[in-house]
Amino acid sequence: MSEVHVIGQILGASGFPESSVFCKWKVQMGSAWRVLQGDHEGQTQIDEPSDEPIANWCHPIDLHFATKGLQGWPKFHLQVWHQDVYGRNELYSYGFCHVPTSPGLHEIDCVTWRPKGSLIEELKTQFIGGSAQLKNPDLVSSSAELYKLRTVSMGKVHLRLHVIVRNFDKYGVEF
Amino acid sequence: MNTKPTSFLVFVNGAIENAEVNDFDDLYLRFSYVIGKDWKICSGLEEGTTQIAHKSVQLGSKIVFNFPLEATFRATNPFGWPQLVISGYGLDAFGNDVVRGYGTTYIPISPGRHRIRIPLFVPRSSSRFQQFLAWFFGRRPEFVDPKVIAFNAGREMTRVRSHGYVQVVFNVVTKDLEELGYKIETKHSSQTSQQRSEKNETTYVDNYHA
Repeated sequence: MSEVHVIGQILGASGFPESSVFCKWKVQMGSAWRVLQGDHEGQTQIDEPSDEPIANWCHPIDLHFATKGLQGWPKFHLQVWHQDVYGRNELYSYGFCHVPTSPGLHEIDCVTWRPKGSLIEELKTQFIGGSAQLKNPDLVSSSAELYKLRTVSMGKVHLRLHVIVRNFDKYGVEF
Repeated sequence: MNTKPTSFLVFVNGAIENAEVNDFDDLYLRFSYVIGKDWKICSGLEEGTTQIAHKSVQLGSKIVFNFPLEATFRATNPFGWPQLVISGYGLDAFGNDVVRGYGTTYIPISPGRHRIRIPLFVPRSSSRFQQFLAWFFGRRPEFVDPKVIAFNAGREMTRVRSHGYVQVVFNVVTKDLEELGYKIETKHSSQTSQQRSEKNETTYVDNYHA
């Protein structure tokens, strides 16, 4: 059984239209993988930066996986949400990024997008708030179904992850 | 014949160098390490307080601490890797000791010298009126236990305001990690992690301006 450790932080986000954003994250992986230790999902704090237009979350990620194969390498599903002045939460964007496959420190910028509605829906989003959401958020990383969507680009989520692997060399895996 | 080691060691040396803040001129920091249950601190202070440092009269100066950090950890499992948790306090206009910010970062995993810029954030009051009362009475919202920022759970509805950074330098040495079968670097990297994190002085701010 090989093991993978992912230790790092979801640092923050930049490039979003308003500040006061937070991130819901979840780890998705194939059937050969198992989370031995660590939370596989969570939600960051809501940050409203005072100096620069970058939300700082510094949310710790500490995951310990065990695996029997390389397929289904874990990936993060990210959802960036915005809390407005009235305390309502609306979805800003979706994004996903694979856990890097090489051991070492990685600085990752995960780009995100949101679904684009019709003209009326976009006007509603602009004036009232709220936005179109995917019925099945797992669609974010499925390559077969995304062709049906029309999307709008949003900002980036920044992660700093260090990957440690163990016991892969006896199966002949080269990193 | 050598017996195989059952645990590995992580030596950390370094310093809390300085803090860059705009809103106030003086600060002192409390630091502590948060570690998993498979970890133990063998030597070094596991928590402490820096001096009370002020800015110099030059415009745009930073608050310099140059505070030494030394610790040795022993562990059997990388899960629960140590995190440095920093909480900053200072005096407000009325002379009350108030919280100025919290920050946290993982001790770097790859051996070498790393400079990390930790953003500071402080909890926000629930409403404008609460904010005024907090300012007036000097009782600002703070975390009951600063170590909560090093954990995943319970962060969902904390609303914070981030301002300023603390720069920390770490020198990391590990022992027996590879003996136990852990691989922390790839042999094909064109740039070592150390070089990449030396360039990280401005972390990801550059990505926004680019």
